[in-house]
Amino acid sequence: MFVVLSLLGFGGGSAIIPQMHADVVDRYHWISSATFTQFFALGKLAPGPTTSMAALVGYAVAGALGAVVATAAIFLPAAVVVYAVGHGWDRLRGNPWRDRFARAMAPVVLGLMWAGVVTLARGAVDAPVTAAVAVVAAIVLLRTDWNQAVLVLAAGIVGAFALR
Amino acid sequence: MPPPARRVAASRPPSLIEIATVFGRISSTSFGGGQMAAIRREVVRRNGWLDETEFLELFSIAQILPGANPTNIAVLVGSRLRGVAGAAAALLAAVLPGFLILLLIAAVVLEAHLPALRGALRACAAVAVGLTLANAIEMTLPRRRDLVQLAISAGVASFVIVLHASLWLTLLVFLPVAFVATSRSAR
Repeated sequence: MFVVLSLLGFGGGSAIIPQMHADVVDRYHWISSATFTQFFALGKLAPGPTTSMAALVGYAVAGALGAVVATAAIFLPAAVVVYAVGHGWDRLRGNPWRDRFARAMAPVVLGLMWAGVVTLARGAVDAPVTAAVAVVAAIVLLRTDWNQAVLVLAAGIVGAFALR
Repeated sequence: MPPPARRVAASRPPSLIEIATVFGRISSTSFGGGQMAAIRREVVRRNGWLDETEFLELFSIAQILPGANPTNIAVLVGSRLRGVAGAAAALLAAVLPGFLILLLIAAVVLEAHLPALRGALRACAAVAVGLTLANAIEMTLPRRRDLVQLAISAGVASFVIVLHASLWLTLLVFLPVAFVATSRSAR
């Protein structure tokens, strides 16, 4: 399990979800497809990256220890790679190619950010209430330096009453 | 051009506990994605640990590398601020609270169907949309006069939204264009 999931860890963000499905459902038959979908929905509902749903798969397979192992396996290998690259990148400081690359990436990343707004909105804005919450949250965040936790809490209360 | 950050980069690097607190708070309050936006808000806007350019740089690396983007950026920011220990603190704080809350929610939601809880979580996910929107606006404003960059951003956004293009295909198509366009406009 360790090996499979840590290899999965190299697939990249939510792009690895289909791959994870292929492995844990079709190949190893650890859980059913319906359970996987339910886990996925929970992974999206809970805070933190969706890939944390690996913890649930681990839990279903091997209890609490399985959850810990699966979580470590999915995040650690990628983290080591990222650390190494980040370190190498810092050592390139002053290299003109580094600056040119960073300059070229900036508008591309900005475009990805806008695409992210639309992707998230497609999944989360499904009713007038959620649309209103999103707009109000954007305005508050732009105009104040408030901690987002305040907003999340307020939205949770609104949702608990308005979105049953 | 000055970055839109409200505060100048801090002169003293933050302590490990400060790093862990910020990333722990982000990971335990970011619902339904939008974590990158939350991280930028905390690291650039509220704490001034990195300026906009530095953050964009690390953001680019986090996007390209394998692994979940929010944990990638946690590692990169942590290591930029405090080396290996900073990276470890940020990673742990970024993963642990979400992990625990996920198990908790799983236990509650899988056992009993609570409509109020589902409603609350849906509204929290809507906050993530608002957060990402606010960030996108904030990052776009300082570039609003640079039509070349805006055109590239708009191209990337529509490419991904309309064609559902993968990250790698998007980079393959747009990075060379951006490379040529930005090196020319710099002169």
